[in-house]
Amino acid sequence: MVKTPDVTNIRVKLLEHLVERGQVWNRMAEKYGVTNPVPPWKSSLDGMCDALDKYGAVLPTVTRREEEDNLTERQYAELPFPESQLVSLAHSLIARKIIDENALTNRMAEVRARLESCT
Amino acid sequence: MVEEITDFEVLEIALRELAIEKGLFTAEDHRQYTEFAEAMGPTPASRLVAKAWIDPAFKKRALEDPIAASLEVGINWLNPTGFGTPSDFTALHILEDTPTLHHVVTCTLCSCYPRPILGNSPEWYRTPNYRRRIVRTPRQVLAEFGLFLSPEIEVRVEDSNSKHRFLVLPMRPDGTEGWSEEQLAAIVTRDCMIGVALPKPGVTTNAVLPVHHASEPITNNSTEK
Repeated sequence: MVKTPDVTNIRVKLLEHLVERGQVWNRMAEKYGVTNPVPPWKSSLDGMCDALDKYGAVLPTVTRREEEDNLTERQYAELPFPESQLVSLAHSLIARKIIDENALTNRMAEVRARLESCT
Repeated sequence: MVEEITDFEVLEIALRELAIEKGLFTAEDHRQYTEFAEAMGPTPASRLVAKAWIDPAFKKRALEDPIAASLEVGINWLNPTGFGTPSDFTALHILEDTPTLHHVVTCTLCSCYPRPILGNSPEWYRTPNYRRRIVRTPRQVLAEFGLFLSPEIEVRVEDSNSKHRFLVLPMRPDGTEGWSEEQLAAIVTRDCMIGVALPKPGVTTNAVLPVHHASEPITNNSTEK
């Protein structure tokens, strides 16, 4: 197996900011009286992980899961599941410079504006 | 419904859009696997166990060729691509419990799980805490789930990997004589098929889920007639 670089010690400010804001599902669900055990985006996240696994070139499955374990136990220990799974995936892609942190920050602003324009 | 757009919802969409634009996968791939994830659940596995309890010929087929037996409860392991999902190899083993042998399943490396027939793994199954400890102190971990096994019952922990997935076939409990397949399937919970619980008449869920009460519940006081 090809040795992959350890990217779990890299800090990603965007993701740390999201952790601080703490809009995790169990808190939001309680606030709005919703009983779904997982957020509505969970199946889409599963789809994203499977789609990445299909090609596996940029982030092999076992590497992704190993980094999720490490990040969930350390940097993102405050986050519940599945937020921890999502943030760990983003961390792995940003730390490898596959996804640019600034581009993701900008895209998040665009997505939020798009979603809020419909409410 | 949560009427607030959360950071994590936004992150999931933004990350996915950039990944598609980067060519890491296609929107079609994502759509296909998301639909598959939405459709998965433990019901087919519960039916398989119930069917095995009441039909000895099916049980024999299930133990000999679990992938073929899965088809009889509506699960084709070759879905959704024609050769399975990228991470779920078409290799299922059914582990039959006996009065002196109890099986429990884990994946020490990551979180391999028979997703096509049992749905997504629960959160605790993914945690290093469970994965590390179940292989070292299985009786202690099972006790934490409320499952206390007598010393004369051997506990066998099966470690899943990319080419071997496992499903526990628990023993049919007393008090279910004459039950229909549907009645039996209702007590075969996900946890029974991982091996951290035993089926019991009257128990149809893994655990009682907490109920979130609305801080500002909707009332009908303002409804006009």
